[in-house]
Amino acid sequence: MISIGFDDQGKIGLQYVTESLHPCSPFGQERVRKLRFFAPDERAALETELDNTERAAEAADRLGPLYEQIMLVLCQLKDIRGSVTRLSEGAVLDHVELFELKGFLMRISDLLPLFASMNETVRAEGIAFSDPSEALDVLDPERTRSRGFYIPDGASEELRAIRAEKKRLEKQLYEVPDAEKDPIRTERARVCAEEETEERHIRKAMCLSLLPHVPAMQKDADAAGRLDFLIQKALFAKQYGGVRPEITETALELTDMVNPELCDLLKAKGRAFVPVSIATDRGATVITGANMGGKSVAMKTLALNVLLMHAGFLVCAKAARIPMLESVRMLFDDAQSMQSGLSGFGSEIVRFNEALSEVEQGYSLFLIDELARGTNPDEGAVIVQAVTRYLNGVNAISILATHYDGVAENARIHYQIIGLRDVDPGRIKAELAAAHEDGVAVIARHMNYGLYRVEGKADCPKDALNICRMLSLKPEILERIERAY
Amino acid sequence: MQKALIESICRTRTLSIVGMCKNAGKTTVLNWLLGQSRGRVLGLTSIGRDGESTDVVTGTEKPGIFLSEGTLFATAKDMLSLCDVTQEIMDTTGIPTPLGEVVLVRARSAGSVQLAGPSITAQLKTVSDRFFSLGAEQTIIDGALGRKSLGARTVAERVILCTGASYDMRMEKVVADTANIFRIMNLKKVGTVPAESDRPLAETLKAHGEALIPGALTDASVVPLLKSGVMRNVRLVVKDPSKVLLTPDTLDKLPLRNVALETVEKAEVLCVTVNPVSAYGWKFDADAFMKAMSKAVDVPVINVKEALQ
Repeated sequence: MISIGFDDQGKIGLQYVTESLHPCSPFGQERVRKLRFFAPDERAALETELDNTERAAEAADRLGPLYEQIMLVLCQLKDIRGSVTRLSEGAVLDHVELFELKGFLMRISDLLPLFASMNETVRAEGIAFSDPSEALDVLDPERTRSRGFYIPDGASEELRAIRAEKKRLEKQLYEVPDAEKDPIRTERARVCAEEETEERHIRKAMCLSLLPHVPAMQKDADAAGRLDFLIQKALFAKQYGGVRPEITETALELTDMVNPELCDLLKAKGRAFVPVSIATDRGATVITGANMGGKSVAMKTLALNVLLMHAGFLVCAKAARIPMLESVRMLFDDAQSMQSGLSGFGSEIVRFNEALSEVEQGYSLFLIDELARGTNPDEGAVIVQAVTRYLNGVNAISILATHYDGVAENARIHYQIIGLRDVDPGRIKAELAAAHEDGVAVIARHMNYGLYRVEGKADCPKDALNICRMLSLKPEILERIERAY
Repeated sequence: MQKALIESICRTRTLSIVGMCKNAGKTTVLNWLLGQSRGRVLGLTSIGRDGESTDVVTGTEKPGIFLSEGTLFATAKDMLSLCDVTQEIMDTTGIPTPLGEVVLVRARSAGSVQLAGPSITAQLKTVSDRFFSLGAEQTIIDGALGRKSLGARTVAERVILCTGASYDMRMEKVVADTANIFRIMNLKKVGTVPAESDRPLAETLKAHGEALIPGALTDASVVPLLKSGVMRNVRLVVKDPSKVLLTPDTLDKLPLRNVALETVEKAEVLCVTVNPVSAYGWKFDADAFMKAMSKAVDVPVINVKEALQ
């Protein structure tokens, strides 16, 4: 079962996604709060969920007003599951609980026609509501369908008589002089007690009659949560451009995927996220590139989108082919590990071991960012090369980002950050001379964070040297560097 | 009681009843109001739980709140079993109290109720808005005692201030303290609000001759400025009367130095009610009490033991 820690959810932008959803009902809110990832043996259920989401997202423009109407009803749902459980255990519910049950059933009956009309287009499979009118008749025997909950006089002959007597005494209280009121008050108190007892009998009978409807109410609460979540997923896909992923056996292939959190962050700064594409499969894939964030972003975006599919979301990409995974593990640069007592490197190895043993349990995704970055480059390269060779034989898609040389040729697949590959250094130099802005900002603007696949043997790109040139490092030093290359 | 007063009470959309102490006659006033309103739909709630235990059976010494059929009320869920009206649950509010969630109920028969409403101003506003959407024509808030109720004036348009012999054995003190609260509640409503400033009060006053007091106005901040002479011919503005924590002495000095004290939020005190009988055994001379109280405030004063029986 995939389970993602709170920290990782934040790092890859999954938390941003869940916070951007606005589920209306307590049941929908719970689904978002406790995001559940489908396991490989639930493939059929995931396919259904993805189909539902795709159709709901496609219809989102046309059905927008209808979705809003549905959300408005969902907003009014209260969590009645506690009362329903008490009901099933034979408890006699009080007035307020019965009011909330009635309210719930009335909202469900409001939902029925709206959902039916949505379903003409969306055909959401596996979501169904039962007709609540029989249960409503128990709580509203006179079929007033009023907003409040009230036990009507006609609920029993006894109640009618008791309430008539109560009314008679109240009238009398108004009419007689003060001195004569006390015996009437005493009598009234007795009648009020009788009324309470009789109402309790009636509430008990109502609860008994509701008992057969318990499974339907539980199912409806669940269906409301699913519908709520479905609409939110559809609206999310509409906002960030979602595609229905194809579920594969082992291959993982994402074309032009984006990360909503980074998209919005860059947009606020007037820049745009460069979509990332990657195609990989079982074994080790290595991503190389100069150390400028591109590698981590690619891996986090990949992790996010793989997880979105497992939670039944459309994927933020142009096209996606994703296998079902037993687990998703990530080892990202983590400042916390520094505080754990072990050295950075030591704790990294501990975490790696722990993650590896989980990854080896079944087909998984294993993302490792700059393993052994804290140790000396010669040793680090040897370690990462060995890990890469080992991961080739593990039943998992392992992706390693590294800037160590000699790792890539040990991997099945090698990707590289495009970086400054296609940029003419002369042009940047000219731009730097003309502009008075920060040289680093100019370079960052020209940096291409996209990936390209490297066939055959290739070393890490020599972007560092390019950057030295563009930023006009002292010529005497530059000369020496060039000679040493 | 004067007809004009009754009319303006009935015309008020949200009315708060504030007591100087327990047994000031708040419930008597409330029941009288409920009696006046027969035929109109009222919404009734309280600020928190009123500590008084009422004797439902005898209904004499400590009166219970008695509603007529059709009245709406808001109380905590656990209080419902102590209410003997036939109940129609109209809504749940999600507002928590130590006695359970606040629930809106319509009385489907006459009877007595126990109130335990929200204790936060914003929640009181929510409750009174719901009353109006359920068809109420007037909301009455049974205020608790002291400062908390002064804060509720942002919710209520008008206030009835209840005082009585139970507050103190000395009539002069009862009258003086009630007059002081009355004076604070009746501060002049501000015309223009001075700009907010984070400078010390003395500097702001020197520079602008007026100041908006961001928090509470206390003797500690005012007395030194009165002594140094900075506070003379100036204007002080508080956000609402509950922010004025000045002692009567200091309050008296302000007009002498030509200091105007004004408030941004304001509710009008309609009348003061007095209860000359203390629950603790003593009793004031009703006429003397009425006379002293009438002299101290410039609104009608009503004896709950006579006018409202």
